[in-house]
Amino acid sequence: MRSIYSGLIVVIVAAANLLAQDVYLKIPADPPTKNPLEGNADAITAGMGAYRVRCADCHGMDARGIRGPDISQVWARGRTDAALFRTIRNGVPNTEMPAHPAPRTSDMDIWRILAYLKTISPTSAAAPGPGNAGSGEHVFATNCIGCHRIGDRGGNLGPDLSRIGAARARAAMARQIRGTMGSFRSGYEPVTLTTPNGQEIQGVKKNEDQFSVQVMDTRERIQGYLREDMRTVSNEKKSAMPVFGTDRLSDADLDDLLAYLESLQGTAPVPSNAR
Amino acid sequence: MNRRTSVRVAVAIIGAVACMATLTAQNVPPPLVTAQELLDGLSADGSRWLMFGGSYTNQRHSPLTQITPENVNRLAPQWVFQTDTAGRFETTPLLRDNVLYVTGPLNVAWAVDARTGREIWRYKRELPPTGSLTACCGLVNRGFGVLGDRLFMTTLDAHLIALNMKTGGVVWDTTLEDFSKGYASTIAPLVVKDKVIVGVAGGEYGIRGFIDAYDTKTGARAWRFYTIPGPGEPGNDTWAGDSWQRGGASVWVTGAYDPELNLLYYGIGNPGPDYHSESRKGDNLYSDSLVALDADTGKLRWHYQFTPHDLHDWDATEVPILADLTIAGQPRKVVMFANRNGFFYTLDRLNGKLIVGKPYVVTTWAKEIGADGRPMILPGYVPDEKGSLTCPDPTGATNFWPGSYDPGQRLFFVNAREVCATFYAWKQEYVPGERYTGGAGQRATGSDNRAWGALRAIDPTTGERKWEFPYISPSTAGVLTTAAGLAFTGDAEGNFLALDSRSGKLLWHFQMGSALHGTSPITYMLDGRQHVLVPAGTTLTDWALSDVPRVPATR
Repeated sequence: MRSIYSGLIVVIVAAANLLAQDVYLKIPADPPTKNPLEGNADAITAGMGAYRVRCADCHGMDARGIRGPDISQVWARGRTDAALFRTIRNGVPNTEMPAHPAPRTSDMDIWRILAYLKTISPTSAAAPGPGNAGSGEHVFATNCIGCHRIGDRGGNLGPDLSRIGAARARAAMARQIRGTMGSFRSGYEPVTLTTPNGQEIQGVKKNEDQFSVQVMDTRERIQGYLREDMRTVSNEKKSAMPVFGTDRLSDADLDDLLAYLESLQGTAPVPSNAR
Repeated sequence: MNRRTSVRVAVAIIGAVACMATLTAQNVPPPLVTAQELLDGLSADGSRWLMFGGSYTNQRHSPLTQITPENVNRLAPQWVFQTDTAGRFETTPLLRDNVLYVTGPLNVAWAVDARTGREIWRYKRELPPTGSLTACCGLVNRGFGVLGDRLFMTTLDAHLIALNMKTGGVVWDTTLEDFSKGYASTIAPLVVKDKVIVGVAGGEYGIRGFIDAYDTKTGARAWRFYTIPGPGEPGNDTWAGDSWQRGGASVWVTGAYDPELNLLYYGIGNPGPDYHSESRKGDNLYSDSLVALDADTGKLRWHYQFTPHDLHDWDATEVPILADLTIAGQPRKVVMFANRNGFFYTLDRLNGKLIVGKPYVVTTWAKEIGADGRPMILPGYVPDEKGSLTCPDPTGATNFWPGSYDPGQRLFFVNAREVCATFYAWKQEYVPGERYTGGAGQRATGSDNRAWGALRAIDPTTGERKWEFPYISPSTAGVLTTAAGLAFTGDAEGNFLALDSRSGKLLWHFQMGSALHGTSPITYMLDGRQHVLVPAGTTLTDWALSDVPRVPATR
């Protein structure tokens, strides 16, 4: 009795496997190591459109970077098709680079974008920009560290810059420092709250809904406030970040600072001491 | 089997028989869900919610009045149910005999005790790997249909299944189409007489859409209406060349039914590829249309195309709502439709003739709806490689989240979006099962293009706005209204809202931690108290008035 029963189970499991295989055979395996659409004219045209709509906002129409990094250099710096595919598919955790999951984005959508990107990317790496990173660190400690954090040092009112060199193009950082970039990063929009007795609370907006606003004030206190408890809640037009014109920061100092910022590629994990 | 075991078995059998006898004497099982109950819709006693829109009219308007504008601020949570799955609710739960029947993301479904929020059974479909599923915009489901002792659910791998209401066991399983070719199904089935009506998603994957009817007893297909006519059929010539074969026109939002006329009313999705004009010259029937079908045969009675040759992904997959109105002194049977293209329509539901067509958001692509029922299209809004700024955006002036209609006030309620986008188009090769859009839309940003939204109350006899309640960002929530003068909805930031439906005044709100998305709350009576059930995120939350005593049922 028992043996017949186990035999039956084997048959059922085998049948189930067969059925499952029919479905599982269609799973795309790991992406191919080489872009299957490279050089394909139709794919490049479609990839251009998709790139402009989905990537250019951050990486720029010319891929030289706006808010996001310069990605025209990725092959020149040794990244492979497969690695780039995975970056687009999975995003970069804890950064603004989102994941692009299936089914909304198909494998071929990603390959089309890469096929186009390849056509506007030089094959050899651009020369590094001018400036001395060591001197730039001093410029940073004098001007920036009050609000910006690198690793375990610095303030919290502005964005953490520990990996800014990997996340921003040099030109975009220069525009931000010189005050010629108009947009605010989400979570850092300046806001002023006025209490019923006229006291002002200035800070950056971390979140909001129609009933409340969550802020970090200039003393780095994080706190939520009900709109009904405030006389006014005003979004400010001007960034909390000061403008560093040439009167405050010479072109040479800016070059040094940019060289330093470009060197910031993220904090390596501390090795565990346990055992 | 030894002697001791056989004694135990005998005792168990006697016990079970005795138990069954007791049950039979004390507790007559409730009758099965009947076709008449479906026709009756939301009954005055509030004891049930048996279909997507509450009733065949899709009005989503409850006759219940225990919760009022005066006491709504005393709503208190009764229980919380969490799905323990990834993904979020877009479902309309059903209620029958104090048990809730709820579909969730990834084709998981539950029977839940409405008194306590405790699970009674759970169904989970074995799905192909999610990477091979093509439901473009979320692995979601919009709810069950029901008849007799069976629940009906569509699946992400394009099947229709019938479940036993008591156990969640599968009674039958029918394949709608091959999911690997881009077909999926997320629509809540509509049960009409002895048939269950469903449609397929896949408008971004080059499918040829259809509406199907299946026998509720056997799962055998009774009829199919292709939303794109085949060669030789009227309308096939509105598709250049062979573009009809992969023209999309999906069906993923539940229609309405008029029993007197025996007509089904379904909104049809966008033509594909979404944005590229050259790929499919012509009007592209019946994409972006409302179709009226004979419920017994699936034969087309009439159609009205809201957006001929759509280039902006404006699926007509909003919820059609039926009502009987008096317009210019004449009684009219109408179907009302707040369209993704920015216009609000009131049509004669006998023949599809336009009565009212008026913008309810900022609409730049058409001047107005002409007397012939066609939009008078303005120049400069054809997407191309350079991009053209158009309002509304691809998500549209509204979308699949259901509106409601209050017949007492004769007002239509809809969560509207004020968002514009730059539309791009390019030629794209068709690969079966691959996304096939021929372009894209990019939401416009900056201070000149602030995206916002509002709950709007519209007079369907004129298209005029009676009031609006603005949001800081566009809401994707449905609306439930009640005869007490309440509108329940949500904002994009996760607040559950109760408003006075006569004035638009906000009365009460609660932060749920996840936005009410693509659906509305439902309401019903249970043990003498009116309940409001909110499916949002991965959570069902049940609300009732804190100070109304519970009156337990005697049966």
